Amino acid sequence: MPKSFLVDTTRCTACRGCQLACKEWHDLPANETKQTGTHQNPPDLNPYNYKIVRFREHLDEKGNVVWNFFPDQCRHCVIPICKEVADMAVPGAIVKDERTGAVLVTEKAAQLSEADIKAVIDACPYNIPRLDTKTHLLTKCDMCADRVQAGMLPMCVKTCPTGAMSFGERDEILDLAQKRLDVVKQKHPKAYLAYVRDVSVIYLLAEEKKYYYEYASFM
Amino acid sequence: MQSTRRSFLKGVGAGVLCLTLGQMGFDLGEAKAYVRKLKIEGAKEVISICPFCAVQCQIIGHVKDGKLVSTEGDPDYPINEGSLCAKGAALFTMYTSDHRLKKPMYRAPHSDHWEEKSWEWTLDQIAHRVKETRDRDIILKNDKGQTVNRFETMFWMGTSHASNEECAVIHQALRGLGVVHMDHQARV
Repeated sequence: MPKSFLVDTTRCTACRGCQLACKEWHDLPANETKQTGTHQNPPDLNPYNYKIVRFREHLDEKGNVVWNFFPDQCRHCVIPICKEVADMAVPGAIVKDERTGAVLVTEKAAQLSEADIKAVIDACPYNIPRLDTKTHLLTKCDMCADRVQAGMLPMCVKTCPTGAMSFGERDEILDLAQKRLDVVKQKHPKAYLAYVRDVSVIYLLAEEKKYYYEYASFM
Repeated sequence: MQSTRRSFLKGVGAGVLCLTLGQMGFDLGEAKAYVRKLKIEGAKEVISICPFCAVQCQIIGHVKDGKLVSTEGDPDYPINEGSLCAKGAALFTMYTSDHRLKKPMYRAPHSDHWEEKSWEWTLDQIAHRVKETRDRDIILKNDKGQTVNRFETMFWMGTSHASNEECAVIHQALRGLGVVHMDHQARV
């Protein structure tokens, strides 16, 4: 049975524990950054950040500031388009581990040409993969497949101090997502689960995706 | 190859072991090729506490061959239940970072650089300077002639690295000196 995540953005306080824990587990080095006028830092996913918390603010109809947080990561699609595209050039460059549902970049991805890499990046509906120019490998979240195979939680889920992230068997997570949606809807009537059927990382969003991130949801 | 009873039993044993690992959820098949090895496999778990704030989240440090290889929250500890914020989640880098200070650093008055000093020298300096400053500045009586024993020219900055008990001892020591200016900074 494949695994799934639930990311309840209404519980996220943007502490970025997930972002840091991911970086630590994968032994990724620091990025040189600068103040860009937002707490979102580094500004985008990159070869050294498989996960970042996106910050976006807007005014609601009463003129109050609404500050939304979006912990962005690979959705581990049920039918991964990146894999389909990569398979056309180098079969096995991106694989789907059927047991966990994790979509993984393998060492064969180093054989992908510049054009193939661009095609894979462009194909992702969620704007996730990034190219590490040093290793010539695509980089992205690997669902902590090493941990999951050993019966442990992915590092981001393990670390989350507010309970915004859950991980488990897909059917259990779907149940949990529906239960949380029912609760959240009492406060945020427009809340919905983003594109549930097609992804393993289910986001519970309180309002339209434009108030989170253009690529927060496929539709 | 000649098969003896001993080698046959060995083979059966290994087979049973593989079967057990497979049943325990370790995928020994195709996945092995592209999933990296669990870096904390076989590591010893050492319990510690996050030094950054008063919540005092408990941490598991994974030690392999005498070296720290990873840190994460301790799920058995009731306060943080395995979770950590961004500061606690970055403890491993705090340990490995080349910015980490391992010796006391000293910058002399009007100097433009830091120099490494020994603990012995540093503690001695602190003791001497506290004593000199106190001897010079202690206010024993106020304008009305009442005993106040006030030491106003020293400031104590507390840290969340200190436990409740350490704070009590520090507080008593400073009150004993007559220090009245004390504060806390959770980021030092």
